[in-house]
Amino acid sequence: MLKKVLWKSVVLVSVVVAILFYFNNRTLSQGSEEPVSKEENIPTKELLTVKYLPLETKYVDKAFEQVDPLNIILQKQDKAIPHGGGSIKEIEIRGFHNGETIFFRLAWDDATNDERAIKPQQYRDAVAMMFPLDIVTISPETPFSPRMGDRAKPVNLWHWKADWEKEMHLAGGYEHIEDEYLNMFDDFASNPHPVKGHSDLYASASLVSGGRASGTLLAKPDRGRSVEDLNAIGFGTLTSQVHQDVKGKGDWADEKWSVVIYRPLITPDKNDVQFVPGMGTFFNVAVWNGAQGDINGQKSISIRWRPLKIERVKYQE
Amino acid sequence: MATVHNWQLGRKMDYPYLDSRPKKQFTAVFNTNRCIACQTCTMADKSTWTYSRGQEYMWWNNVETKPYGGYPQFWDQKILQILSDEGNNPMEWFTSSEDKDDKKAPYGYYGGDTIFELAKTKDLNQVAVGYIPEDKEWRFPNIYEDTAVSKKTNIETEPVKEYSQLPAHDRWFFYLQRICNHCTYPACVAACPRRAIYKRKEDGIVLIDQKRCRGYRKCVEQCPYKKPMYRGETRISEKCIACYPRVEGKDPVTKGRRMEARCMSACVGKIRLNGMLKGDPDNPDPKNPMDFLIRIQKVALPLYPQFGTEPNIYYIPPRWVPRAYLRQMFGPGVDEAIEKYSAPSREMLAVFQLFRTTQTMISRFEIEYGKKVYETRTNGKKFEVFDDTVIGYAEDDTELVRIKVEEPTWESSDKRMITY
Repeated sequence: MLKKVLWKSVVLVSVVVAILFYFNNRTLSQGSEEPVSKEENIPTKELLTVKYLPLETKYVDKAFEQVDPLNIILQKQDKAIPHGGGSIKEIEIRGFHNGETIFFRLAWDDATNDERAIKPQQYRDAVAMMFPLDIVTISPETPFSPRMGDRAKPVNLWHWKADWEKEMHLAGGYEHIEDEYLNMFDDFASNPHPVKGHSDLYASASLVSGGRASGTLLAKPDRGRSVEDLNAIGFGTLTSQVHQDVKGKGDWADEKWSVVIYRPLITPDKNDVQFVPGMGTFFNVAVWNGAQGDINGQKSISIRWRPLKIERVKYQE
Repeated sequence: MATVHNWQLGRKMDYPYLDSRPKKQFTAVFNTNRCIACQTCTMADKSTWTYSRGQEYMWWNNVETKPYGGYPQFWDQKILQILSDEGNNPMEWFTSSEDKDDKKAPYGYYGGDTIFELAKTKDLNQVAVGYIPEDKEWRFPNIYEDTAVSKKTNIETEPVKEYSQLPAHDRWFFYLQRICNHCTYPACVAACPRRAIYKRKEDGIVLIDQKRCRGYRKCVEQCPYKKPMYRGETRISEKCIACYPRVEGKDPVTKGRRMEARCMSACVGKIRLNGMLKGDPDNPDPKNPMDFLIRIQKVALPLYPQFGTEPNIYYIPPRWVPRAYLRQMFGPGVDEAIEKYSAPSREMLAVFQLFRTTQTMISRFEIEYGKKVYETRTNGKKFEVFDDTVIGYAEDDTELVRIKVEEPTWESSDKRMITY
């Protein structure tokens, strides 16, 4: 009797294992991602040193002149559908910290300033930094996917958006549909029923208005920030954090974006990467060129992890 | 990619996710023969769900004039063009008796590529082929309203024909009512890189999670019916929600029973019947009006089945439109459907009476047979009408409606004819 039960369970377990093995990465997932090459998992030798500069926040711009840049060659994202990007070839990145806050400045060439995503065919410029969430060693023996992390290896992402930047400085903190479609309500200046007449309807509509009601940051006026703090555990898992800790400021001039992203070195949020002076971590960057229709996986990426070294705090006598 | 069975194509096809049919499927039958394009459905939907800022161009329900009209403009021609120009196989149906199977392939076998297969074999940067319409394509919800096709006549050599005759009119147009098809294999679900769109197991309704959506617009691009729409105001996309609170029975009017969607119950022309298909397509329930019309009688057909999404809104094709056009739009079941609709069986005629008699969903019907009231010949065959009574029941077996085939009439007395 016992033998029979044992035999049955052995057969059952082996069938289940066989099924799991067969279907693993085959049909249960979307399966459109190509496997990542081993080289990609190895960090580069070139590293970014985040210098310690005991400065107040208002001297940020000057501080960046005192640190060495790291130039990173970017390439098209071609592993997960939708592929795309590649129009931004290179990005320059600098970093420093003042013992409390860590600052990064990302600068890249972009002939157009795309700071709106209202029309169905309109896409924003954006830049993102990605860090492993925990303290990790990345080597050929201990690989870490540089593409959005994976289930056992979560990542923390900071995503700066050009439209959020613009909205941050606007009264009301949001661009509305009529900012893109200027004459959508009034064909003529003499319209006796201006849109103001419907303001009550608009105000009452917020609860049934999709994104606004769901509370997504994308649809929220007055966010007070231009950088979104996110986590991911692989393709398609990007999720906005409950506690938003990252801030930033972007400027577009002379066909060039220059974006400063900053955050306290240490936060109380367990979903945030923590920067301990004297230690290091790794990072990756991605740039979206709105004019080229970049969004989602359509982006220019750095691929391999870059080591990040955070200088010790030097105490002055 | 997984392999799933699409009964409308009569074959297996590629789809990114495993076959997982809902327990019941939200569905509707639209009788195109009766639509007058009054747009009451359109406005019912608009005033319920899409009256807010950023939704100005959103018509989750629209009625367009075929063949020229479309919202967005030329949506169907554009997809058909992609499938025809880029497809590896001709868009061909095989409809011999060997290719047909009542359960697995009721219309026969489709040999062409679906939108998923074409994207895969061409190694395109999409899960399904598609495009994002431009602003100008969304500008006119009812462009080419009532514009008919006409046969060119050389007035010098032949007389201008003033009249058209069945089976196909020389001058023709018809109205096509469109909502989200709540497909069994939705292209929007397949296209979303972050799985923000889902199909509900309990009723097969397809929804965009407004918390998960990040406005990538892949659903807008890859839904062949162009029903997910980007809302610039909130930077994310929205689509028809099949009035799911009503379908769940949340509206107090139907006392907890499933209620038809707004566009359905508002239909003035009585062209729409909304209900739930049985989840298992192989064993249709002959007493469920939806299963009866769609799977058993095959009088209501899917819209562009060749796209491969197994759409779940079914159409009784217009009788007067050239068959080649209809076969392209509704598949090879068109001839059988029109033949059956032109001279409906006793049961089918009874079920047709149920259209728009109640806004509670009818899940079962019974027929009480009555006496013969009329006899004629149609399509060269004898056609009899019986004054049967059809009774519609809700899911909980409550009697909802009882209606006769012959409309009851009452003759007033002669004295009423005296005018003063």
